[in-house]
Order: sequence, then structure tokens, then C-alpha cells
Amino acid sequence: MTIAELAEQTGKIEHTYQVSPEVYHAFQSCSGDFNPLHTDVAFAQSKGFNDCVMYGNILNAFISHFVGMLLPTKEVMIQSQDISFHKPVFLNDQIALEATVDTVSEAVGIIEFKLKFRRISEGVKPELVAKGHVQIGLLK
Amino acid sequence: MERSEIYEKLNEIFCDVLDLDEVHLTDASVADDIEEWDSLSHIQLIVAIEKAFGIKFTSLEIMKWNNVGEMVNSIIAKKQ
Repeated sequence: MTIAELAEQTGKIEHTYQVSPEVYHAFQSCSGDFNPLHTDVAFAQSKGFNDCVMYGNILNAFISHFVGMLLPTKEVMIQSQDISFHKPVFLNDQIALEATVDTVSEAVGIIEFKLKFRRISEGVKPELVAKGHVQIGLLK
Repeated sequence: MERSEIYEKLNEIFCDVLDLDEVHLTDASVADDIEEWDSLSHIQLIVAIEKAFGIKFTSLEIMKWNNVGEMVNSIIAKKQ
């Protein structure tokens, strides 16, 4: 598959993730980050949040899933990614990822996707919680 | 577009992509001259240059460049 074919076949991809207790604990164990903002409800509430704030980098793990599992080819590798966090994410939030092709360079064999993460819940307008980009290259 | 204007823009792009305080590219500049200019950052540079100048290179074209001067020649040719 060429980079142009991948861009054409991909276009826009949407996928919904859940920040489940399993995801939360797996990320906590992997990162070793036990900061009270993520682990102590009283601390989080004292800082103005309703509950423990989930690790922002869980969303980066979702990007990893998007690239590794949702693209129409497995012959891909992440070259770079950036993300900005606009709203806190909480346990059991449903997060919809929307990835659209932003830049394609056939010269260096990369596609850059624009990413938007929105919290979704029934009867409520989806809320943008994070956005960013991921640049992937095709493996040779 | 004047060659000097292209260099001015390229210096900005290189500083931004390679996170340099300043750089003074010349026709003879090559990747070995700049520690941060490795194969991955080369990809980021090409993408940034394509975006900034509104042009597209081919893989064959970029493989032929021996120095920044040859890259600038390609940019000038595409901007004409």
C-alpha cells in the first residue's frame, strides 16, 4: 500500500473508547504515576474537580490503538504526536476519537492526522476534551 | 521568490522543527553540520517546507539533494 492509497482509504476514522477501571489501573501500573490528582478524590475535589482526573496520557494510548489497530494496514509506525488537553476526563467517560487526514507527503511517506477527542454521553452535546496530531510513516 | 527570501524562511523552519535558537543555512549546508538534523527530523523538515511553501516534492527528488543549495533550487523551480 502506498501513502496515497492509505490516505485515500482512510479519510476519516471515528472510534469510541471507554476510560474503564481496567484502562485506568493498567495505565497507572504502566506509568507508575500515583499523583493524588489521579488517585485521591479528596485531593482532586480540593483542587476544584468533581472526581479524580484521569491520566491525560491514556488518550495517547488510544492514539496508539488508532494507529496500530484501526488503519487499513498494519505496516505503519508513529513518527510524532502531540496532544493538548482542554477538559479533564473522568473514570468511565466515553471518549469518541475523530481522526481526519490533515497532511500527506509522498516524498517522505507520511500522513498526519488531525485528532479530536470528545466526551459523549446520552442527551448531552459532545464536549471537546483534547485535540492533537499524529504523524505516521509506512514501514518499508 | 528570491533565494535570500527562501533562506530566511528556511532558517525559521529549521529553528522551529529542530528546536534551535538560530541557524544560518548556506548552499553548502548538509545534515552533518547540524547535530539535530537526523533522519526523523529530516522527515519533519520536508513536511514543514512543503507546507510553508505550498509545494510537494517527490521521493526521487529529495533523494538527489546533496546539500541545502540543491533543495533551494528545487523550491525555486516549483515556485516559478
